[in-house]
Amino acid sequence: MASANQRTPEFEPPEPVGVRRPDSGPTGPVMLPGAGNAATARMLQGAPAGPAGLAELSRLAGNSQFARFVAQPPAPGGGAPPTPGGVGAGAHGGPVQELQVKLSRLQASALPLTEDGRYGPLTEAAVRNFQTSAGIVPVTGVADPVTKAAIDAAFAALPAPVRVQLALGATGPDVGFAQQKLNAVGANPRLVINAVFDAAMMVAVIAYEIAALHRFPNGTVDAALWTALDAGVKGGFVASEGASATPVEQNTPSGTADSLGAQVAGTSLHPVTGVGGLIQGPAVHELQQKLNTAGASPKLKDDGSFGPLTRTALQAFQSGRVPPLPATGTADKATWDALDVAAPASMTGAVERQWTEVVGGATYSMVGAGASHYSWEIQKTRMLVTAKVNFVGLAAPGAWFGHVEAMWNQYQGVDAASGRSLPIDFKMSSGGGGDANTVQVKPGTGRANAGEWFVADPNAAKTVPHEFGHLIGLQDEYQLHPGDYVRVTGHEPPVGDAAGPAVAPNVIATNLQNAMVARNSANAHAASVGAGVKGGAFAQRVVQEYAKLATVTVPAVAAVAGPPPVPAQPAVPLTGDLLFDLNAALPSDNNSYETIQTFSYSSGSIMGDPGRVSDPHDHGAQPRHLGEFVAILGRALGGTWEAKRR
Amino acid sequence: MILRLVIADGSQSPAVAESVEVAEDGALTGWRSVSDGGVGWFAGRLPAAELAEIQALIGAAGAAPPPARPRPEAAEEVLELTATGPVRIAGLTDGPGDWPRLAAASRRLLDRLTDFPRAAVGVSRTPGGGARLEHRGTDPVRVDLGTVAVTATAWRGYYEPAGDWAGEVTGPGEVEAGPEWTYDLPIGFEPAGPDVTVHLTADFVILSGPTRIPVRAKYTPDA
Ligand SMILES: [Zn+2]
Repeated sequence: MASANQRTPEFEPPEPVGVRRPDSGPTGPVMLPGAGNAATARMLQGAPAGPAGLAELSRLAGNSQFARFVAQPPAPGGGAPPTPGGVGAGAHGGPVQELQVKLSRLQASALPLTEDGRYGPLTEAAVRNFQTSAGIVPVTGVADPVTKAAIDAAFAALPAPVRVQLALGATGPDVGFAQQKLNAVGANPRLVINAVFDAAMMVAVIAYEIAALHRFPNGTVDAALWTALDAGVKGGFVASEGASATPVEQNTPSGTADSLGAQVAGTSLHPVTGVGGLIQGPAVHELQQKLNTAGASPKLKDDGSFGPLTRTALQAFQSGRVPPLPATGTADKATWDALDVAAPASMTGAVERQWTEVVGGATYSMVGAGASHYSWEIQKTRMLVTAKVNFVGLAAPGAWFGHVEAMWNQYQGVDAASGRSLPIDFKMSSGGGGDANTVQVKPGTGRANAGEWFVADPNAAKTVPHEFGHLIGLQDEYQLHPGDYVRVTGHEPPVGDAAGPAVAPNVIATNLQNAMVARNSANAHAASVGAGVKGGAFAQRVVQEYAKLATVTVPAVAAVAGPPPVPAQPAVPLTGDLLFDLNAALPSDNNSYETIQTFSYSSGSIMGDPGRVSDPHDHGAQPRHLGEFVAILGRALGGTWEAKRR
Repeated sequence: MILRLVIADGSQSPAVAESVEVAEDGALTGWRSVSDGGVGWFAGRLPAAELAEIQALIGAAGAAPPPARPRPEAAEEVLELTATGPVRIAGLTDGPGDWPRLAAASRRLLDRLTDFPRAAVGVSRTPGGGARLEHRGTDPVRVDLGTVAVTATAWRGYYEPAGDWAGEVTGPGEVEAGPEWTYDLPIGFEPAGPDVTVHLTADFVILSGPTRIPVRAKYTPDA
């Protein structure tokens, strides 16, 4: 990434804590006669009662949806309702982080505190403010037991969010929050967070009423339904944080985050090891440990060196399969698959992850020699995750190695049941070999990518930890489709701007398509960002309207000399997927990037876009980014491990 | 035209939108928008040996390669050859093979371009420690210096951060910069120490007829 004031995806210099601002549009339910369909209308007028009625409802709502709801009682989102004591409590780890959550909500901090679990000057100032206003003497800035008890009491006394009853046709942020929560409890198919109580939402509401509330559905999100949703899923409201009373949308957890890039089908996570592959290092340690677990006789010395004994043991393992594997002495995918079954756990491992991601409608990948290479080792006092990098070109500045540790070494694995904990450390090391990542170190400044870093990058403290994230298999968290956003972050897309400008979504969608046909990114920007479209629920209505338009093929165009120059582009058959089409049809410039940004979702974490999305709740390295390693701890040591702030 | 490379990246501002083109006779032309070697129009001629090298790489490359997905954060890179038409090469990283070699050579041509400024503006450091915009080449270029965003980054030893500064300078607005033209930009930053290197960037606008193109000139003495 280039200079300090450059707007690159994830590499903005730190700004004062900002927020995802929810819209200020109409919030009350607005009836739209004619919305929905005949079946749902009949439902509202009073459908047949009794088992026959329920059977009909089942058909309407879809059996798979019922199955999901019934199988998933209304608490899978985890955590407490957004009532006093619930928000953030226990969800993000460390006591300091909890304190930060509460201080922001109690408006004791000047601005919303970044929930980083670090007791810095801003946190201390907030504690002082609280002590002063609560009459606690002396004012120390220390969260002593008395202060902490007072903070807890004040937090517990915060009013619960006011929920509005919602019916078919309602619009506004509350509809979006209900959609988030219905998704979190298993609505299938997922609802688009569009803040419109439409027929699709009606289906999910009815299914939830039957499956979770066990009541005859009335098709509304009434007090009882809100209570159930809030009890099952936290978040989903706007809180005024800090003395600034900055409105901050509270994230709605949904499912289990998987922040890894999508593994390329048919690939192994293990590097080829042994004859013709890696013959030393973590991969060989893993091989020796697994061969021993699988019954190698005599037992192999776990020395990480592929010698004749290891080779013989590997060939014996291969021959001993039913049916036998070719006794090649090479641990290839088939052999590793068999080893993983025979010996699921080890204390050391090497990973070669081939993966792809879709960002901004384009597909990126780390595959082949450019796959993510990393290893891990469970030591006595910690787990160590290492990505070895073969720096070519210039030498890597020493500070880069420290940047990785400063950003990533904040968590420990914790097994709550047994009380065990183990710090998880990350390390970027310099070295070559078949298990190293190759990074070109280029002179001067520029926009880094996963394999090309710039020696004089003024934002290296963020760039390098972000790119390191790719080296350990994590994907980007910016400009995502909603489904990918939920998967990688583990929370629902924000409601954001629910109201939008005074232009109908279908008009904006048509204008966007016209701009694509004309290959005109300025027009696309003017039709959307320029017309007042901001990210969130309204923008998703445009996405939905765009998908309904008849698709056309945008003809090929020759290169434009410019300036600015534009490359020649092949013909683009539009698909109805707005992000994909914007990326494929428009030149890659600021206008198209900002347009795509508006219709997609980005997190504020280190793998997201902290320059454009400042989210005090989701920033830096997050526990979800350690998901693979806590799962490994569980396999190796038993128990259920979670990443918690140290 | 035997080769044209266009690199575009709208995720940063100013956007990267750069091109280089080689003609049959070795004429090298192009545009740089974010560059250590000046921003604007460039034109020159490749020495025969360099042209022959490029021609050999093009000849060896042959038909378009199978598509390769770019790595995360990669910019769009489209290489156009007479034989193949436009080919996306962002996924072709440095390495063995005819196409990766051609891709790497094409990217180097963008740097080579800055040896031949025609109507360009660069930034350098004045003896007093300020930033100086200076015209490069033979032809005038119209620039808008209404607001110039300036950054300075200091490094000590081998790229150990030694402080930075960012500010905006209100300049004279639209001016025509010709040979010998310079414009000094004050910097509120004086890094101390004998082994400190300062890098500079200056963001302004170049006018091409009615089109305004945001650009970033960079001074990275060691690049
Ligand atoms: Zn990235």
